[in-house]
Amino acid sequence: MTASRVRIAIRDLEKIFVEGAREVHAVAGVSLDVRDGEFVALVGPSGCGKSTVLNMIGALVAPSAGAVLVDGQPVRDRAPRQVGYVFQKDTVFPWRTVEDNIALGLQYRGVPPATRAVRVREAIALGGLQGFEQAFPATLSGGMRQRVALLRSLVVDPEILLMDEPFGALDTHTKLTLQAELLSLWEAKHQTVVFVTHDLSEAITLADRIVVMTRRPGRIKRVYDVKLPRPRDVIRLRESDEYSREYGEIWHELGQEFRESA
Amino acid sequence: MKSDRWRVLAWQLAILVAIIAAWEYLTGIKAISKMPGLYWIDPFFISRPSKIVERFVHLASPSVRLSIWAMAWSTVQSTLWGFLVGITTGFAAGLVLGRSERLARISSPFIVAFNSLPRIALVPLITMIFGFGLLAKIVLAWSIVFFIVFFNTFQGARSVDADLIHSARFLGATEGQVMRTVIVPSTLAWTFASLTPSISFALIGVVVGEFIGGESGGGLGYLIIQSLGTLNAADMMVALLVLGVIGIVMALGIRQVEARLLRWRPEYRKR
Repeated sequence: MTASRVRIAIRDLEKIFVEGAREVHAVAGVSLDVRDGEFVALVGPSGCGKSTVLNMIGALVAPSAGAVLVDGQPVRDRAPRQVGYVFQKDTVFPWRTVEDNIALGLQYRGVPPATRAVRVREAIALGGLQGFEQAFPATLSGGMRQRVALLRSLVVDPEILLMDEPFGALDTHTKLTLQAELLSLWEAKHQTVVFVTHDLSEAITLADRIVVMTRRPGRIKRVYDVKLPRPRDVIRLRESDEYSREYGEIWHELGQEFRESA
Repeated sequence: MKSDRWRVLAWQLAILVAIIAAWEYLTGIKAISKMPGLYWIDPFFISRPSKIVERFVHLASPSVRLSIWAMAWSTVQSTLWGFLVGITTGFAAGLVLGRSERLARISSPFIVAFNSLPRIALVPLITMIFGFGLLAKIVLAWSIVFFIVFFNTFQGARSVDADLIHSARFLGATEGQVMRTVIVPSTLAWTFASLTPSISFALIGVVVGEFIGGESGGGLGYLIIQSLGTLNAADMMVALLVLGVIGIVMALGIRQVEARLLRWRPEYRKR
């Protein structure tokens, strides 16, 4: 992995939000390199600016200072084409069926209908959504809607995937299921992933590297390499000694941040 | 559940029959016997069901110069035109202003001023400009429908979820595609909610237009005003009944369209 090229380069990133007369220093001097095929998790207490960092990579928020480069190109007002994004919030289009939601990206990119149909069918099979092709999102559970959102992002084969607490609103069981699915999808293509979460066990389960951020103004406190072998089994992993050791070590550091912010 | 539905329907029918029977009966008996003209309820003002049916049959026959069908058609036609033109222009204006902060700010005092003007007060002016015909009625209906649709659409266009727009952009949408696949469908949900009140108000606008539109404008409103001139309550009732039926049919039709277009919404799923 060390030899692979840098896909996302974050340089001295700063963000100050101005709300009326008040200034909120959200992100302070964050620098980070994310290499090709790497799965990086950003962890920290809520309000630590981890989502803001992600949104600056995705061009949803403009930096106050510093820069983000994706494949060497500075990110300005629109994320480059190779970047996909999964929101925590439900962003499945309610007026489109499951099938039509997954087809969106292909439709935007002008993929001919016949090819589109094949790829949508593949994605639906991959996500175990057979039988729900014609269903409208309102009839689905939160977990299924988020699965649709994930498949919708992946069907256009993004090389870089930004994920903002995508499983944050789900119950534990659904969350574990979707983590397992995400891992197997990732094993197949090895996209470069930046995954924001406040859930340390989720970060350890999924990531190669965990970036722990301090509370506001958010800085990088430490970066951990997760040495757990791959492919990982979401359930069995949790029972292993290595997992407990990693968890204990990072929690010690992170717990301090959580306590101080509470 | 099913038997319950029938029971409700039976009650509704019974009440309707009772009202009609009481109407017929009370307008037929004298308050004081042998005193002419003193009824329990004077049919001069509200007519009688039997008389109304008689007048309806007369007005519906092909021998009359201006049949009830021709008048109803004139009303329906103007209403639908006013409705359609009102929806399309109201939607277009609402969408454009809703997505442009600057245009919205510039136009807002004009819109508020025009909308707070009672539309009825415009009837003589509209008639002066557009003459005594279909066009004046359509313009009047339009002027009411336009604002209902406009305000709903405007609100809808402003409340499009920004994250849906971002999602579309991440999936590779151009700004045109964002407009077509996110902003328009999301706004339409609000626009559709204004369709049912719009059709009712279009009908109101048309009937008011017909009150002063004269014979060349025609329509059921004309029949009502003409009946006022001849103090003919039966004809007036015929016009009101036909108007009622038109109103119901139109509202039901719109509900069907709405349920079809908004079938992705949970509240329309069953049925």
